[in-house]
Amino acid sequence: MSLNIFICGVGGQGLVLLTTVIGNACAKSGVKVVTGEMYGLSQRSGAVSVHLRIGDDAFSPLIPYGEADVLLSLEAIETLRYLEYLKKDGVVLMNKRIMHPPIETSKLVADKESKYVALDDIVAKLKGWTQNIAVVDALKLAKESGNVRTENTVFLGCLSALEAFKVDEKDIRESISEAVPKKTVEQNLKAFDLGKQNAHGSLCTLVPCRALP
Amino acid sequence: MVLKDVLSEEKKAAFMLGNEAIVRGALEADVKVVAFYPGAPTSEVLDTFADALGNFDYQMEIATNEKVALEICAGAAFAGVRSLTAMKSVGTNVASDTLFVLGYTGVKGGLVIVMADDPHAHSSQSEQDGRFFGPNAYIPMLEPSSPQEAKDMVKKAFEISERHRVPVIIRTVTRVNHQSSIVQLDEMNRSEFKKVKWKELNEEYTTLGEVARRKKLKMLERTVKLAEEFDQSEFNFTKKADSDVGIITSSVSYLHVLEALRMLNLKVNVLKLGTTYPLPQNTIKNFIKDLKKVVVVEELSPYLEKELCAIAKDANPDLEIFGKKTGDFSEAREYNPNVVARGVASALGLEYGGEAIVEEAKKFKEAIPARYPTFCAGCPHRGTFVALNQALKIQESKGQQHYFSNDIGCYSMWIYPPISRGDSSLCMGASVGVANGISHVIEERVVAVVGDSTFFHAAMPALVNAVHNGNKFTMLVLDNSVTAMTGQQFNPSTEFTAGGRQGKKISIEGFCRAIGVEFVEIVDSYDVKNNVEVFRKALEYDGLAVVICRRECALYGDRNKRRRGEKIVPFYVDKDMCKRPYVCLRTFYCPAYELDEDRQPRISPELCDGCSVCSRLCPIHSVKRTEVKA
Repeated sequence: MSLNIFICGVGGQGLVLLTTVIGNACAKSGVKVVTGEMYGLSQRSGAVSVHLRIGDDAFSPLIPYGEADVLLSLEAIETLRYLEYLKKDGVVLMNKRIMHPPIETSKLVADKESKYVALDDIVAKLKGWTQNIAVVDALKLAKESGNVRTENTVFLGCLSALEAFKVDEKDIRESISEAVPKKTVEQNLKAFDLGKQNAHGSLCTLVPCRALP
Repeated sequence: MVLKDVLSEEKKAAFMLGNEAIVRGALEADVKVVAFYPGAPTSEVLDTFADALGNFDYQMEIATNEKVALEICAGAAFAGVRSLTAMKSVGTNVASDTLFVLGYTGVKGGLVIVMADDPHAHSSQSEQDGRFFGPNAYIPMLEPSSPQEAKDMVKKAFEISERHRVPVIIRTVTRVNHQSSIVQLDEMNRSEFKKVKWKELNEEYTTLGEVARRKKLKMLERTVKLAEEFDQSEFNFTKKADSDVGIITSSVSYLHVLEALRMLNLKVNVLKLGTTYPLPQNTIKNFIKDLKKVVVVEELSPYLEKELCAIAKDANPDLEIFGKKTGDFSEAREYNPNVVARGVASALGLEYGGEAIVEEAKKFKEAIPARYPTFCAGCPHRGTFVALNQALKIQESKGQQHYFSNDIGCYSMWIYPPISRGDSSLCMGASVGVANGISHVIEERVVAVVGDSTFFHAAMPALVNAVHNGNKFTMLVLDNSVTAMTGQQFNPSTEFTAGGRQGKKISIEGFCRAIGVEFVEIVDSYDVKNNVEVFRKALEYDGLAVVICRRECALYGDRNKRRRGEKIVPFYVDKDMCKRPYVCLRTFYCPAYELDEDRQPRISPELCDGCSVCSRLCPIHSVKRTEVKA
C-alpha cells in the first residue's frame, strides 16, 4: 500500500525543499515515490501544495480525493483548504502558526466586529473529519534549533516518527545534509530531532509510531 | 533541487523533477547550445542548466524572448550542433513564426523544443493546447507522462531530429514538468565543444516561393516516414486486458488512467501514446480493431479523439468512441484521478461516487479566508502601487479618469483582491500595444504597466510605435532587475547573464530617450511620497510619459544581502505610539502585517523584509526599525 501525504503551506515556508529531501531519501532507500508540486505564481505568501506519494501502487502525481493518509500543513488555515484529500480519520499534522492573508486583515480593518480565524476554530472544524490531529509549534522548535527557517525540517522529524513512513532515518539525515545550505546543516538536523521528539509526545499518542532508539 | 544528481557520472536512481530530468537527458545526449526565456512551468529547465554551467562544455543564453531563444538553437543546429530550448505554451506563440519555417528548412544537428502546456492555467493567461503546433508546422511531437519518460524522450528526440533533419517538440503539461519521481541516470557521453567550418558543411536553410513549394513536398514525405517509424516506437505501448473496452490516452492523463482503473477496480485495455504527431496509425488501428468501446482520455482539446474518429471510420466503423464529444470529459481545466474515474465511469455506465467527499469538505471551509497570490514582503511593486494609487486619486479629484492596461509579470497580481485594479491584461508586452489603440478611442488617460523583462521581451516594438505615431499615454516600467515571477532569472536589465556570468546591461531609459520619448523619469519604488508627484505629472503630461520605477526584486535583493553577509533587519510597530489610523494596512496590504489582540498592527519579524516603506507611510511615525546591537 502506498503512503499518501498531502503537504500544504504558504509560499516561502520551504515545501519544495521538504519534498526534495523526502524524495531523495526515498531514492536512497530504494522506495518508489512520485510527487505533484504546485507553485508558479507568486514566490511568497500564496497558497502552495505538494502531493507526495510513497509506494509501489501510486501512479498519478496527484492524490485522489479522500486518499491522503496524512495532511501536513505548515500553516494552520491552509489545513482546511485541502480537507477533501484527507481520508476520514486520517492524520492531520499541522503547524500552530497562522499567517493571516492580507485580505483577511483588510476585512478586520474595515469591520470592527470582524475577527480572525483562530487555531481553536480550525481544530474544532477538523474534528468533524478526524480525531487524529497533532498541532505542532514548529516555529518555536525551529527557533530552538537556531534557525527560524527550519519549520519544514521540524515537520520532517514528525513524519519520520510514523510507522507508515518507511524511509530509513539515516537516508533522511543524509538527504537533509545534501539539500540544505551548508551553513544550516547542523540547525536542520537539530530541527529534525526536535520534530521527532515532539511527535513522540503528541502525534504518537494518536497513531502507530516507530519506537525511539 | 540537488544539482549533484544532474551532474552525476554514476548510473544510479535519482529523485528528479520533470524539468531536471529533461536537463539530464539533454546533457546525456551531449547537448551543446541551450537558450531560453523563462516561463512557468518550464523555468527550472533554464535554472538547472544555469546551475550546471561550468561543469560541462555547453553554451547557454537567457534570451530576450522565446523566438530569439529558438533562433539561437536553430543557428546552432544549422551548423550540426545539438541544441535545446524550453518554453511555456504561450511562449510557443511568440516563437511560432520561426517554428513554422524550421519545418521547411529542417536542421542538421538535433534541435529539441520543450513546449509546456498549462491545463488549468495555473500560471498562464490561457489553457492553450499546443499540440496543434505539431501538425500545423509538420514538426514531430513526443509526449512524456513522467520524469523518466521525459528524459528518455529528450534523448530519443535528438536522434529523431538528426535522422529526419527536423526539430522535435517534446510536449509536456504542468503536471509533468512539476512532477518528481525516480529517474534512472545513464552514461554522460560528453564531447568537446568545437567550432566547425560552415563552408565545409555545404548546407543551406532558405525558403521562399519556389524553394518553399519544393520543400513542402519533402516535408510531406518526411511526415509519412515519421508515421511509419512511430508505429515501431517503444513510446507507444499497450496494457492488455481480457475486455472489449479500451482506453487511449497520452501525457500525464495516462498516470491518472492507471489510478482511475485502480479506483474503479476495472480491467480494460490501455493504449498509451507517446508519439502524438504524426500519430502511429497502424498501432491505433491494431488496438481498436477488436474492441467495441474506446474511451479517449486527454486534457484540453479533443486532439486524439478527432484523429481516432477518422481512423476508426475504416478500421472499425462500429466502434463506440467516448470522450469530449459524448460529454464524458471536458475540454476545460486539468484532470486528476477523480476526473478521469468519473469520465470513464460515465462513458461505461458504471457507478462512481468518489467526489461526494469534495462537497462534504466544502462546509468545513466556509470560515477560512482566500489566499490570493500577492506581492512578497519587501516587493518594490507594492510601493509603486501605493504611490500610483495616490496619484490616480489626485487626478480623479481633478476630473481625470483612467484605463489600466496591465501585463504579464508579478505586477499581474494587481488584479487580485484586495487591490483589484486592471482593465485589461493579455499577454507579454500587450499592455503597451493595447495602450496605443485604446488611447485613440477613449477619453480616459491610459496607464500601461510592464516589467523590465517584459519590456525587452515584447514591449519595445509597441513603444517605438507609440513614439512614431505620437500616441499619448503613461507607461510605467517596473524595473526590479530580474525576471522575478519565474524565479529571478537574469535579463538585459542587469549586468549578469546565465549562471551569473558577465553580461552587458541595457539601459531602459537610454533606449526610451534614444527613440524619442520626451518624458522619461526614473524613481525609486520605495520612495512613495516623492513618487506621487512624479506619477501625477506623468498622468497629466500631454504626450507619451514613461516612468521607470527602479528597485531590485525583494527575493533577489535578499539573496544578494545574504551573499554579502548583511542582515535583514525587520521593523516593528511601537504599540505606545500607534493610534491605529491603519494607513499601513489600508494602503499597503503587506503579508508581514496582521492585527494583534488590541487590534493594533503587528509586523511579523519572520516575514518582514525590512524594506521600510510602511514606516514611511505611517503619519505618526510609529513603525520603527528594530535596533541591532553592534
